[in-house]
Amino acid sequence: MSIVSIRNVSKDYMLGKTVVPALRGVSLEIEKGEFLSLAGPSGSGKTTLLNLVGCVDTPTAGTVVVDGRDTSRLSERALTELRLRTIGFIFQSFNLVQVLSVFQNVEFPLLLQGGLGRRERRDRVLALLDAVGIGSHARHRPSELSGGQRQRVAVARALVTRPALVLADEPTANLDSKTGANLIDLMKEMNRRDGTTFVFSTHDPKVMSHASAIVRIADGQLVGREAVGGDAAAAEGR
Amino acid sequence: MLPIDLLMASRNLTRHARRNLFLAGALATVTSLLVLLASLTAGIEHAMMESATTLLTGHVNVGGFFKVTSGSAAPLVSEYPRVLAAVRGAVPDVDYIAVRGRGWAKAVSETASMDLIIGGVDVTQEPGFAKVIVPLEGRLADLAQPGTVLLFQGQAERLQVRVGDVLTLSAPTARGVNNTADVRVAVVARNVGLLSAFSAFIQGDSLRQLYGLASSTTGALQLYLRRPEEAKAIAARLRATLSGAGWRVMDPDPQPYWIKLMQKVPSEDWTGQKLDVTTWEDEMGQFRQFIFGVRALTWLLVVVLMAVVIIGILNTLLIAIRERTREIGTLRAIGMQRRKVLWLFVLETLLLGLAGTGAGALLAAGVAGLVNLVGIAIPESMQIFVMQERLRFLLEPGAIAVHVAILTGVTVLASLLPAFRAARLRPVTAMHHIG
Ligand SMILES: Nc1ncnc2c1ncn2[C@@H]1O[C@H](COP(=O)(O)OP(=O)(O)O)[C@@H](O)[C@H]1O
Ligand SMILES: [Mg+2]
Repeated sequence: MSIVSIRNVSKDYMLGKTVVPALRGVSLEIEKGEFLSLAGPSGSGKTTLLNLVGCVDTPTAGTVVVDGRDTSRLSERALTELRLRTIGFIFQSFNLVQVLSVFQNVEFPLLLQGGLGRRERRDRVLALLDAVGIGSHARHRPSELSGGQRQRVAVARALVTRPALVLADEPTANLDSKTGANLIDLMKEMNRRDGTTFVFSTHDPKVMSHASAIVRIADGQLVGREAVGGDAAAAEGR
Repeated sequence: MLPIDLLMASRNLTRHARRNLFLAGALATVTSLLVLLASLTAGIEHAMMESATTLLTGHVNVGGFFKVTSGSAAPLVSEYPRVLAAVRGAVPDVDYIAVRGRGWAKAVSETASMDLIIGGVDVTQEPGFAKVIVPLEGRLADLAQPGTVLLFQGQAERLQVRVGDVLTLSAPTARGVNNTADVRVAVVARNVGLLSAFSAFIQGDSLRQLYGLASSTTGALQLYLRRPEEAKAIAARLRATLSGAGWRVMDPDPQPYWIKLMQKVPSEDWTGQKLDVTTWEDEMGQFRQFIFGVRALTWLLVVVLMAVVIIGILNTLLIAIRERTREIGTLRAIGMQRRKVLWLFVLETLLLGLAGTGAGALLAAGVAGLVNLVGIAIPESMQIFVMQERLRFLLEPGAIAVHVAILTGVTVLASLLPAFRAARLRPVTAMHHIG
């Protein structure tokens, strides 16, 4: 079953008076449980596509359906709610809240959601911090952590609400290759453990080799989809 | 959620401690200025209320004018015992009623002379008199003897007299001739602002003798109320009661009696007795205007200064929003609603506002308390206006809280515009890989 369905999507940006076509007629189905890599050179449209899937932007033409809902029909409020309940974000530059501790950064989406008690929140956050290997730094501020540690905190923040879909736009671009590989391993482990769908963009071939499937994009168009290893075969065999 | 909101707001403030301290300091300055000026005004008003309402007017006055011919007028109430009985009947819970003679005379000493508004007073019947009058020389009780006068310090200096010396009072009477009487200075009292510049008191019967008045005639009945704020209502009630009982009662006119005596009443076409019921606010019109003027100036100053502070705050908020664009975008992307972004910025300004205005109010209270304690003398030329010899601030916690709330409220209102702007930031700004 698809968690994301993209049909004939185009996205144009206005740069002054010129129209910049960032995506041109893209169609893509993303299945639940996939660990999908979006690969392509810089300027090919990866970020634009992830923004549309992440409901932070809307397409110029075509439809984007996330978790069964057509995003072009949703109000700003409903889109925000959809992001809060269904999607987790991992950003290239981590984007942690500087004035909050590691614990508070990870707890924050739960506070936005409401519903959980103080103890439940605490237990879930601490368990997740342990799982991403940063449990001993719960009281630290982001500025006291290394890049790799910060991105682990960001992974925990993206996962804490147990979203159906996690989006990561070049999550390893600001990390050295070893730390980047560790992060991808961590994401993959979370994908295996909970079956969370991951979509991440990269132009680093080593990083994409960890994916279950690679979707290649160039000049705003999909140019191919290939399976990697055993996981991918399962996804392709739908 | 609120604890984390407060934490974020306060940490964002302390993160840029210098510029926010500057803003809070500016707010504190405006607040302390407002609180100081307001409590100084309140101090003046309080002193005015206390001294003026004892010396010059009751909370409510039943005075009147007697006209022998339509072109003349005297500030008299004839057959006052009957009026007094009617007033007591209408206002049974009055604190006390002072029977006061009203007059005007030239005081002549061996070396100098000056015009004085003369009050005829029976000190044995007026408990409030001793509370306001501070004798520097002589005893207040001596003013109960016939043929005695109370002067204020400034007058005594000008006339070059002391207790025991004799003055000649020369007064124009209703019949158009001048009566004179010799009076002995019984008391020299400490100045009480403007009042002590031109008013003096003599024993009540001596005033009647000076003017050749019957013992059943006086100037006014001054009512002192347990609740002064009821003055207006009681004045209205008295007007109705007295005219119902057959007296001719003048329409309400918020002016002091001596202005009516000089301008309005002599030009009216009637003779005989009319009563005039006034409140202390009517009699103190010019003082009220002075207070109003001081208040208006205070607020003008505050508005101008606040405008400057608000420009600073707007500027700082816009900088903060620019600095935090990516953070706001991130929070929006991970599911924070627009109104929550708005709230965070409003909360931040609210904290800044409360800190600044609160500190300003505390500072002002400290300064005012210290000045009250030390006692700073007011220059003589100013004493007339403020009716005090020493600078005295009246700190009212309720008023201070209102001032703090107003200035904080204005600050928060001003923050709404940039806060709305922050709330409109698109979540996609989180994705821009800049900085
Ligand atoms: N906000 C924007 N305004 C104008 N053009 C944009 C904007 N964002 C992206 N583009 C253009 O759209 C194309 C795709 O960009 P992007 O999705 O960021 O690619 P990628 O993430 O693969 O590097 C590029 O040509 C880029 O210059
Ligand atoms: Mg990109």
